[in-house]
This record gives sequence, structure tokens and C-alpha cells, in this order.
Amino acid sequence: MRIFDPHIHMTSRTTDDYAAMAAAGVRAVVEPAFWLGQPRTSAGSFTDYFDALIGWEPFRAGQFGIRHYATIALNPKEANDPRCREVLDLVPRYLDKDGVVAVGEIGYDAMTPAEDEVFAAQLALALAHGLPALVHTPHRDKVTGTRRSLAVVAESGLDPAAVVIDHLNEVTVGLVRDTGCWLGFSIYPDTKMSPERMVAILREYGTERMLVNSAADWGRSDPLLTLRTGEAMLAAGFDSDEVDRVLWRNPVEFYGQSQRLDLDSVAEQATYAGNSIMRGGA
Amino acid sequence: MNPRSGSIRWGYGTNGFTNHRLTDALDVIAGLGYTGVALTLDHHHLDPYAPALARRVAGTAARLSALGLSVVVETGARYLLDPYRKHSPTLLDDDREVRLDFLRRAVAIAADLGAEAVSCWSGVLPGHVSRRQGWDRLLDGCEQVVKAAQAAGVPLGFEPEPGMLVADLAGWHALHRGLGSPDGFGLTLDLGHCRANESAEVAECVRQAAPYLVNVQVEDMRRGVHEHLEFGAGEIDFPPVLRALAECGYRGLVAVELPRHAHAAPEVAARSLAFLRAASGQPAGQPVGQPVGPPGQRRPDRQPRRAGLAELRAALLHPAPGLRAEGPAWLRGALAGVAAEPARIGAFFAAAGRRCGREPLAAVPGWSADEAARALLLSALPAAEVAGQARELYRHGDAAERRAVLRALPLLPVGPDAVDLLHDAIRTNDTRLVAAALGPYARHLDAAAWRQAVLKCVFMGIALSAVDGLDRRADRELAAMLAGLSAERHAAGRTLPDDAARLLERLEKGN
Repeated sequence: MRIFDPHIHMTSRTTDDYAAMAAAGVRAVVEPAFWLGQPRTSAGSFTDYFDALIGWEPFRAGQFGIRHYATIALNPKEANDPRCREVLDLVPRYLDKDGVVAVGEIGYDAMTPAEDEVFAAQLALALAHGLPALVHTPHRDKVTGTRRSLAVVAESGLDPAAVVIDHLNEVTVGLVRDTGCWLGFSIYPDTKMSPERMVAILREYGTERMLVNSAADWGRSDPLLTLRTGEAMLAAGFDSDEVDRVLWRNPVEFYGQSQRLDLDSVAEQATYAGNSIMRGGA
Repeated sequence: MNPRSGSIRWGYGTNGFTNHRLTDALDVIAGLGYTGVALTLDHHHLDPYAPALARRVAGTAARLSALGLSVVVETGARYLLDPYRKHSPTLLDDDREVRLDFLRRAVAIAADLGAEAVSCWSGVLPGHVSRRQGWDRLLDGCEQVVKAAQAAGVPLGFEPEPGMLVADLAGWHALHRGLGSPDGFGLTLDLGHCRANESAEVAECVRQAAPYLVNVQVEDMRRGVHEHLEFGAGEIDFPPVLRALAECGYRGLVAVELPRHAHAAPEVAARSLAFLRAASGQPAGQPVGQPVGPPGQRRPDRQPRRAGLAELRAALLHPAPGLRAEGPAWLRGALAGVAAEPARIGAFFAAAGRRCGREPLAAVPGWSADEAARALLLSALPAAEVAGQARELYRHGDAAERRAVLRALPLLPVGPDAVDLLHDAIRTNDTRLVAAALGPYARHLDAAAWRQAVLKCVFMGIALSAVDGLDRRADRELAAMLAGLSAERHAAGRTLPDDAARLLERLEKGN
């Protein structure tokens, strides 16, 4: 099983996790810029973080044969701190980098006016840089937040096919299914989604435009839940081609829109055979 | 100590650049890193019969000097004297006066260019001329040319050519004896010809010819077939041949002669130099060797900085097949954009890998396409902007961009001011950055920082071949540090990497 984890915060993970992920078949990851638990108080703190996402972290991943990409943005939570607002001016510089494959995570946390403003501004950046966007849906008031996010995306002029609405669940999946946006699901030990619930959603809604991620971070999370989801799919009667579509070809297709994925060497190592490997250009 | 083949000076023959203007050919040849040129006088390359010869010769001499190119003059143009008959007339023909006049002109031009030698051959024996008569004509002609060459102070190199009256080394010796072994009558040896028609190994031919050598040509060839082939396409095992050349004390030019490859001259010339450098154990990227000749004729030393950038430029703007085709066009635009608006370099710098590719450049070993493109972008900045922009690009760069800045530093007019970037890179735990920080620019690191950096390489498993000038700079204190690390490793049941162990051994022997 070859796995592309389209949303994982490796900065918060140990080297042992990389080793376990590589052993489990994880060949590529996308690390979205998000908050770090401890709120930041200046733009400089963000630049060091962003620099790590395009410098140190890819190096660390590379030692385990894992290709590391990032998405860059001012996240909705910290968009509310005026001291961090100047980060918005730094983001475009990072959107030019080889390892940056989307704008994200953007969206809503508490649906404040500041979040509105920063969300819209960064969708415009995605449009201007020809990059997809990764939209985080809020943990509280999720249905309202998802609806509002979809409305802002529709207004932005960005092709829905270049947008993933993430952290969906049984309650919100139906809102997004017919919008043309991609659907992201974070599989978490306790909260968000479990592998079994994910399989049920895939049964009901199919595998098209479906992205499954571990969203593993500094909280209680598990970077191997992508693998566990693949195993649960097989146990539930999905065939290996459908598993490969969800865990590899879908994320490659979505982030491949950046024209910056280069997975030649890692895709070759994958054990899955008999498919047409989709390359993300570049 | 025997001279190493790394000291050979490489040239390229302009008869392999017949689709180029001479000025362009010289620029490309110098740009690729050659230090000499074998100039075949021809109707489009310094035509000895066209008007304003003196002015054109002076202009060419100035250009050669500016480019730091040494020169030998070749006289093998195919249709310069007769538009119908190749190479005609020769010294063996009835109208050999035409050839004699040409050779005298060539000697005079060679003298004015400060050439290291002028070269000629016998010609094919015409059907109606007896062998005896041919030899008489040849002896007479050579006598006259030698006199002219002696008077001008230019060595004459007579070249055996397969199929001609003087076809091999034995023929050259017969001619040499027949002329009375005059001063100034030397040998132009084509190494490929040796493979084609000498019974001895090429290296042995070199050793036998050594006392008479004034000019050497090189290309690959097969036994029995007089066809000038690109390196690798023939049968010659070059390393021993080049070693023999260096060991025999020959200090003249060794010029590539590939007259049938003019359609792809820049690529072929780039590949040829990379091949010859590898075959002679020379590092890539910097011209080596010193010009010869009396002090008054000495060429200024090539600047390694310029040569490095010129090679990168040639490799990227005229890429070998396989590199992405749109890269050169994008890069030209980006270089122009950066020169006009330095502030735009950030976006160009970030995009260079996507636009130019990331493949290793065959013609410039050790450089990848993206690194080379980024180095050129930096070099395109107005000089006053280079240091500041390099610092900004490093500060805001991803790992590949930072690495490119570090690698470009020794090629840029920044002086020692950017050494803080090396300190930053060496502080990281990213092997790519640490290795890139220890190139030629690391000469600006003080001894303590440099030793620590070398030790860090050993510690991190970075090959010490990344360290520029290692043996020159390694000292007792580094030896003591390595010995300490070795003892620590030993205690833990581990060993030093081989290259570090060998370095330690060398340093301890030296003490």
C-alpha cells in the first residue's frame, strides 16, 4: 500500500514517527502551516516556522525516503491577533517556493470579521499564484462554518476543483459533496473521524475527490491512521485499486494542480503495480 | 615529483566551429573553460587573403588575450586555396607555390598572434607525381617554411596525416632527417591518428614523439579508420595517454579536433572538456595550467570566477539534449529581468528549479541545473546589489535556494563579506547546506571555524571531497581533533569514515 498523507503536522512529530510511517508505506506528505499550540506573538516567529516547513522538515523526511511538501498561510486562529497580521504580507514569498503546493490552512476558527478578511485575502493569493487551497473547517459550530466557507470559496473565483474542504464528517460531507470541491477527512483516535466511520462514508459517497489524512499534530493523534483506514477499506470489501485511489492517486491529483509535485523516485518505490502513476507536473 | 596529467592545457580547434563566427567561436571556447584554441585559417575564420588582414589579426590577438586563450595556427582548411579540390594545392602539387605562399602567411599571422606553433602537413601524393619527386618537393617546401618560421620565431609543427605522403611517425622522422634536423622543425601529433595507423600503443607513441612535440591534437579514433570521433566513440584508453603526455614534459596545448561536429559545436566542446578533465583527473569548473612562452607573450591568468560562470552559462543556455527545452528561453528572460530590475530576483530565484530542472549538468560536474541557474541569476545583478541580494535570498530561501547561494558565493563579486552565511549554514544540521558551505568560499572562514566545520562533516558523514583545499589547509590541530574523534569512536566500537581516517593518516605522516 502506498500512502500520500495530504495533511499532517510533522513538525510536531518524532523521528520514530517518520520511521514508522515509512515502514507503513507513507511515501509523501503535505504539512499545512497551522498553529503550534502556543500562540505566536510576532511575524518573525512565523517566518522561522515557514522556513522550517520548506527547509529542515523536508530534509528530515528525506532521511526516511519520504517526500515532504507544505501549504503556507496565516491560520484562522492567529488571524485574530493583530500582532500576527503582517504575516499576510510574507505569505506570497513562500507561495513561490518549490515545496509549497497550496495555500493553507485557511478558513474559520471562530468566524470573526478578522477571519473573514484573512480568509478572503488568502483565497485571492491562491488564485494569483495558481495554487490550490486547503480550507480548515471549524471544530465548533462546524455546519455553519462549513456553509460559510463554501460561500466564501464560491465568491473567490477559485475553481472548486482547486479547493479541499477539510475535517469533514458525517454531518458536513453532504454539504460539500456536490460543490465540486475536494473532501478532506481527518482520522483521529477519539475526535473527528475513525477508520470505520470513514469507510462507511466512502461506501455512501464513493471515492471520487475523497482525501483521507491523519492530521497528526501535537495533540493525541496517530500518523498511521491513513494505513489503518486503508486496511479497514480492504476488510470492508474495497479492492486495492480503490484504496490506492484514496490514499495515493487522489492526493497526487489534488496537489498536482500546483505543478510542483515531483514523485518520480518515491512513487517507483511503491509496491502497488498496474496503475498509471499520475504525476503532478514540474 | 612527476607532473600529473591534471596540468595539461586544453584547447579546441576552430575547424570544429565552422558554423560560428570566429569571435563567437572564441567566446564559446573560452566560456566553456578551454584555455587555448587551435585556429584553422579559413575563408570565414581570419581569411589570410581578405582585405584588412593586419587589422583583423590585431583584433583577434586582442580578443584571444582578453579571453585568456593561447593559440596555435592550423593550416588544414579544406577549400581555402582551391574551391574544387579539397586541401589543394599541397606542397607536392605542380602549383605548390600557392601552398608555400599560404604557409608563409600563416607563419606571419602566427607570429602576430603570439601563437605557440604553426602546423602543416605534406598532402596526398598526386597520381602523376612519383614518390621520389614528391619527397623532393616536400623537402624543398619544408625547407622554405622552416626558414620563414625560424625568422618569425614560431615553432613549426609538421603533422603526419593518414593517407598523406607523410602518414606516420616513421615518415616524420624520415622527413626530419632529410631536412637535416633543423631547429624549429617540430612535430604536431594527432593522438587519434596514432590509434588509427601506428602499431605502437598511443601512450608509447607519445613517449617516442616527446622530444619533438610542439603541438598536440586529440580526439577518439578506431584502428585503421581515419575518422575523428567524439570521446568515448572510439577505442582510445585516454588516462594512460594523458599521463604519458604530462610525464614527458610537454607543456603546449592539447587541442580537440572534431571538424565534423560543427553542427553541435558548443555541446560537443562542453562534453569533450568534461571528458578530458575526468580522464586526466582534473577538477571540473576551473581552467588549470599556465600559459607558456616568453613573459612578454604571456596571457593573463583566467579568472576562475568568470570561467565558472561562463561554463554554467554555456551548459544552461545551450543545454545537452534531455534538459528541458523551455529552460534556456526562460533563463534568458530572467537574466535580463534581474539585470534591469534587481528586486525581481526573488521570484525568479524561487522558480529556477521548476523552469530549468534539477538534473545534474553533465558538462559541469558537481552542478545541478537549478543551482547553476540561480548562480547565473545572482551574477546578472548589478555588482553593487549582489552581496545584499545574496544575503536576502539566503535568508528567505528554501534549502535548495540556500545551497545555490552558498555555491555561487565564490563566483560572485562579494569579497569576504558574506562569510556570515557560511556560519549560518554550518550551524544547521542539514548535510546539504554544511557541504555547500565548504566550497572555495570557505577560504574566508578563520582556522578555528574551518576546523570545526571539517570535523562536523566527519561527524555527519559528509564526504570530505566536499571540502575545498582540504589537504592544503588541514593542520596539526585538525589532526588532533580527528584523533580525538577517532578515539571516541573506537571506545564506542565504531570507526571513522574512510576518508577521514586517510586524512588523519596523511596528517600524522606529515608531522
